[in-house]
Amino acid sequence: MKNIKHHIYKSVSVSLLAAATLVAPGCKKEFLNVPQQAQTPVAQFWRTADDATKAVNAAYANLRSWNNIAFAPIAVESLGSDDSEKGSSTNDATYLNFYDQFTVTSTEGQLLSFWEGEYQTINFANQVLDNVPGITMDDALKSRYLAEAKFIRAYAYFRLVRAFGDVPLRLNVPADPSVYNLPRSPKATVWAAIEKDLTDASAVLPQSYPTADVGRITKGAALALLAKVSMYQQKWSNVLNYTNQVMALGYSLLPNYEKVFRLENENSSESIFEIQCALIPGNAAASNSQYSQVQGVRGVAGGGWGFHVPTQDLANAYEAGDPRRSGTIIFRGTTTFEGDAIPAQGDNPMYNYKSYVPFSLWVSGFNEGAQQNVRVIRYSDVLLMNAEAANEQGNTAQALASLEMVRARARQGNANILPRVTTTDKTALRDAIWKERRVELAMEYDRYFDVIRQGRGAQVFGPKGWKANKNEVWPIPQNEIDLSGGVLTQNPGY
Amino acid sequence: MKRIYAVSLLALLLTFFYDATFAQNVTVSGKVSDATNGQPLVGVSVGVQGTSTGTQTDVNGNYKISAASNAQLTFTYVGYVTQTLAATGANLDVKLAPSVNDLQQVVVVGYGTQRKVDVTGSVATVKGEELAKQSSPNAVSALQGKVAGVNIVNSGAPGSSPRVTIRGTGTIYGNTNVLYVVDGVWYNDINFLNPADIDNISVLKDASSTAIYGIRASNGVIIVTTKRGRKGKNTINYNGYAGFQRVTNQVKMANATEYATAINELTVGNGGTAMFADPNSYGTGTDWYKQVLRSAFTTNHQVSLNGGSEKSDYNISLGLLNQDGIVETNSFKRYTLSISNNISPIKNLEVGVKLNGSYSRSRDINNSIFYQLYGAAPVVPVFNSNGTYGDPNDGSLGFRLGGGSNFNPQATIDFYNQRTERYQFTGNVFAQLTFLKDFKFRTSFGGEFTNGQNQNYTPVYRATLAQLATVSSLSRYRGETRNWIAENTLTYDKKIGDHKVTVLLGQTAQREQLYAYTLSAQNVPAGSENAYFSLGTPNTRNITDNGSTLNTFASYFARVNYNYKDKYLLNASIRRDGASQFYGSSTYTNLPSVGAGWVITQEDFMKDQQVFNTLKLRGSWGKVANAGVPFNITIPATTTSPALTAIFGPDQTPYVGTSINTIVPPLILIERSVGTDIGLEGALLDNRLSFDIDFYNRENQNAVFGIPVLRSLGTTGTVVGNQATIRNRGIEGVVTWRNNGKSDFKYSISGNLGYNQNKVLEVVSGSTPIYAGGSGLSNGALATRTVVGRPIGEFYGYQVAGIFQTAAEVSSSAQPTAKPGDFKYVDTNGDGLIDGRDRVVLGNPNPRFNYGVNTNFSYKDFDLTIDLQGVAGAEIYNTNLAYRFGNENFTKDFYDNRWRGAGTSNTYPSVNLGATNNAAPNSFYVSSAAYFRVRNLQLGYTLPSVIANKIKMQRVRLYANAQNAINVFGYKGFSPEVGGTPTNAGLDASVYPLFATYNFGLNVTF
Repeated sequence: MKNIKHHIYKSVSVSLLAAATLVAPGCKKEFLNVPQQAQTPVAQFWRTADDATKAVNAAYANLRSWNNIAFAPIAVESLGSDDSEKGSSTNDATYLNFYDQFTVTSTEGQLLSFWEGEYQTINFANQVLDNVPGITMDDALKSRYLAEAKFIRAYAYFRLVRAFGDVPLRLNVPADPSVYNLPRSPKATVWAAIEKDLTDASAVLPQSYPTADVGRITKGAALALLAKVSMYQQKWSNVLNYTNQVMALGYSLLPNYEKVFRLENENSSESIFEIQCALIPGNAAASNSQYSQVQGVRGVAGGGWGFHVPTQDLANAYEAGDPRRSGTIIFRGTTTFEGDAIPAQGDNPMYNYKSYVPFSLWVSGFNEGAQQNVRVIRYSDVLLMNAEAANEQGNTAQALASLEMVRARARQGNANILPRVTTTDKTALRDAIWKERRVELAMEYDRYFDVIRQGRGAQVFGPKGWKANKNEVWPIPQNEIDLSGGVLTQNPGY
Repeated sequence: MKRIYAVSLLALLLTFFYDATFAQNVTVSGKVSDATNGQPLVGVSVGVQGTSTGTQTDVNGNYKISAASNAQLTFTYVGYVTQTLAATGANLDVKLAPSVNDLQQVVVVGYGTQRKVDVTGSVATVKGEELAKQSSPNAVSALQGKVAGVNIVNSGAPGSSPRVTIRGTGTIYGNTNVLYVVDGVWYNDINFLNPADIDNISVLKDASSTAIYGIRASNGVIIVTTKRGRKGKNTINYNGYAGFQRVTNQVKMANATEYATAINELTVGNGGTAMFADPNSYGTGTDWYKQVLRSAFTTNHQVSLNGGSEKSDYNISLGLLNQDGIVETNSFKRYTLSISNNISPIKNLEVGVKLNGSYSRSRDINNSIFYQLYGAAPVVPVFNSNGTYGDPNDGSLGFRLGGGSNFNPQATIDFYNQRTERYQFTGNVFAQLTFLKDFKFRTSFGGEFTNGQNQNYTPVYRATLAQLATVSSLSRYRGETRNWIAENTLTYDKKIGDHKVTVLLGQTAQREQLYAYTLSAQNVPAGSENAYFSLGTPNTRNITDNGSTLNTFASYFARVNYNYKDKYLLNASIRRDGASQFYGSSTYTNLPSVGAGWVITQEDFMKDQQVFNTLKLRGSWGKVANAGVPFNITIPATTTSPALTAIFGPDQTPYVGTSINTIVPPLILIERSVGTDIGLEGALLDNRLSFDIDFYNRENQNAVFGIPVLRSLGTTGTVVGNQATIRNRGIEGVVTWRNNGKSDFKYSISGNLGYNQNKVLEVVSGSTPIYAGGSGLSNGALATRTVVGRPIGEFYGYQVAGIFQTAAEVSSSAQPTAKPGDFKYVDTNGDGLIDGRDRVVLGNPNPRFNYGVNTNFSYKDFDLTIDLQGVAGAEIYNTNLAYRFGNENFTKDFYDNRWRGAGTSNTYPSVNLGATNNAAPNSFYVSSAAYFRVRNLQLGYTLPSVIANKIKMQRVRLYANAQNAINVFGYKGFSPEVGGTPTNAGLDASVYPLFATYNFGLNVTF
């Protein structure tokens, strides 16, 4: 008996020992060193060509984020103009009216949203520019990636400097908190940085890509943006020079203006720079563009929210019979060229045709029009910049020729409309080019800053409340000023 | 490694000396009865001190136990004073005196039990019976109002868990969950437990009580002990109730005519033309709440088998809860199984298993339904005369509402098809060896395996313009939890003369893993959604990784309890915790605690006084920590989110993108909490009155949270770090009166009150405040502010001075862009313009007072329970009012009082309250969150045992129960009880409406 008992005790204590050793990992240090879950540490990134590719991809993808193509650009880059107004339901998002009426104060949310979106773009580009040079990979591809990133950074700074004037200029990923809080750099410094990035990029970028890479930034895009940047600084000879270079690259206008903005003509021969958007089956999170959705026809399935609508003033701005009017504006109660009937009783009399995607292409669960690319720079913009620069430089013939290329396409072979402009008077021609810019590029986020650049802000927008020496730029977001502890200053008048 | 072997080697060695100590046994038997009336006591625990040998008295109060001839026998019974007697002869009859003194009761503490009188920290206990009287499907919810200093915010959705805060909020970003320890296994939530399976709950409130749980203890610990078998008696028990829930304190909305009138005012005010030609033609229209809400039925059944012999005991319980939600189509069903089995295969060794299994499934509601109901337009019929859904937006009704009133809520619930299923298995096995009389070695291994999924299927449908699907879609989210915990403890318990010492040594290892993913596909044919993702269009099949976490913990702990003459008490503990989250930087944390007690009534100078039966002064100090911060937060990581997918090529081919969009702190330390507690507790007037009063002070240091960074960095908005010290300081007390009478009428009344003051002592950002609280607010507005010297997350905004009555008044004011009917704000800094600098503190969402009154009355066979409960000194922010996109409905209160022309109101604005100026956080939206409620009312009747026995039953009790039957509050929303994370607390954004529950129940024991 006693032996048996003893035996049991022994086996019990053995099992207790086993239980104790089972948990023995608890005192090993390795037990507490568990691998990172579901994330790649930065220390393991920036090693291969594939990492470089992914980082560049992210910089591209970020261009279509909400902050970069939805409410914030509508507010900051368009509603101030005479081309567009808030739209949608009268009682929805009434704060957007502040941009139309120039009653914006520094705490208004879209200012910060725009600011944040552009600086996110800059951060993504800076990551590439800081880290990809150290990766061992194909040199040609590496320098192309760096050039693409430079363009993306320049594009973001262009939008910032246009909207706010002096802004913090961040050309590297901040290494430590001591360089977090940068003061505003003078406009001229920012313009110079943009020009440098674009000049570098244009020297490296290819004229075109193999089919699979279509949509990437090209040499033409860099030169065209460089031209535009120069135009905002009235560097007319540069504008002429860069636009001439673009015009030698083989771009051409499509025959039908309205079709330029349809899905089948994405990245067409007229397209110089487009933000790539898609409806990716099964992946609504990656099909995140809301560019078309926020502007889509309100009150129909597959339409949209109906914001950012054309004004009657824009509708009146077209010459008689100009087909671009019906290629830019969807009128309530009509049927689109693609066959969608627009209800006659909608909230808004007009919608933006350029962001329109036929309703039947909508897939529920996805943003309406998620597949629509944003046309940022088109060839006709380059032609009109060329015309304007040529005129300013006294080259009337070239100015007239470039202008005519735009009007000729708009005419679509109808000799009875849009007569050729023949004036050789510099001022009259300038006016004609400006007028052409308005109708050719309407609803493309160009008009507001174009008019300010032309020095006509008070004349054109004054009736809406625009004031010189204040409204040339928007206020710096108050939140950012607060966080900077006063390092950032406010624009005059706000 | 060494330490563990040392412990187990000790255990091994000691067992070899084992036989010698248990030589001669005697059998003792006898009867245990009540000292006051001589009635036999059933189920009294009879134990041999220093061993795990034990038995229980049978139905006649008899027991029989085998013990060493020199052994001490202890007789313990709930509600009676424990007696210890020497096993001197074959017969030992015992008379136990009822103990109405709580201080003599045994309470469960961390890794052990103590007499309440020996406890030096702040521990509150609630018995299982108390919880059972609440008829609440969730055990934690049933604690509301029961324990001083514990704030419980119930969320009404079936199957949801309440939010529990013990002694105030001390963290912002970290884990805010209380630690639940169920039979030794650690959990964040105990929703899986059937309250009827709970034997008792201990709430550990102060740092010295919780310190033994170290890095998980800083939000307090709730120890749950589930029922185990009672030796010597087999019983079958049935508990069941059926009843219904209905919404109380329903907010009344404007009717159709009122709505049309208001929207016309709004549209005209915004420069449009009136939308409704004749508002009166719409009559009262649709009452959407009435349409979609209902009286919801609930049934609950539980059957348990309980019993045991000298060498083993068991408890098996099966439960079924069937609860409908107050929203049509919403339902929740939960099956629970609880098994407890303890065996003593040989003397001095006990092995046991506890297993809890639960399966629940629910038919869910679209979370936006409450938002939609609030905004839904009463001018829209539920159905048109032809049977189609009334569409607010397609123009068929003569208007297009858009915005937040785009929806027909009936269509929303009709076409929402999501089912959630959850399997959870938890439990542990343990072995406990008693040796050398005074030593106990216990080893246990427990864990949790949870598999939860929700499956959502949307068919192709078209209900309204905004509610349709052009393709069918199927998605299934699945999350799995796999946790284990292994513990070894060694306890030494010794009484030498006047000195009583208990020493505990322990070691723990834990691993917690969670991973989750979602599968989805489109064009899965209706009816085949249960299995066939493969029927979906191939290129639409998608897998989303919902993240995973893996944490490990390795800990060691020790505790000494010392008692001198039952007069002076000293407890001290230390725990050393290692956590994988802090690996490398500060892997291990040492967390000490100490407590002391002085039982004044044991002093000679108190001997002659007649007032106090017990009086004890106690004090404690301890350090605990919160390891609940995100994993590897200091390691910069890349992000590969779908939104970073680039698209190139004519086929719009997606390419994965990766970037870095966060800034990480260079170093992160564990959050520490240092607490002191001073308490006075006692019983007086023949133990009829007892009280327990605590003063506490707790500082949470290194509180982790995100501070906003410059957006020009291009990263996401915050950088996380150890940024603040937060203090919670307060007083809480419980007073209980209980009659000792032997009359038929018995009663007890207990009141508790907790006062807590929350204050941020320091923040890294210095005087720069941290703004948060944007949930449910328009246009990115932030309604809370956290700043040094103030409570966490106070409401912050403009002070309303009145309403602009005329354009002239506007033009001469500091708000030149306002319109008549807009809020006029106070220009607090007097600079002639209204901007962010004019904002002031508008309220504090952290409740300062929590109170409860719990009563029990019985007269003969009737019993009555009345529990009252409330919160005072807290504010709430009603975000619903101004969260508008356009033509949402208004509350009737707002409609009736709105400004509609000069002189009509100086407190309520015009219908344009969704406009930026009016929707900005301001004092109009803040009101008192104080409430008082009759939490529970229960009237029971127990059949006289003569009758019960005739129908072969031991006990039959019938009861009627009402929960939340009466609620009193001034707040004009649905419920003043809203939760929220620390800097987003108290924001009422479409909360689940408050409801009352009425049940009828039956308890039967065979």
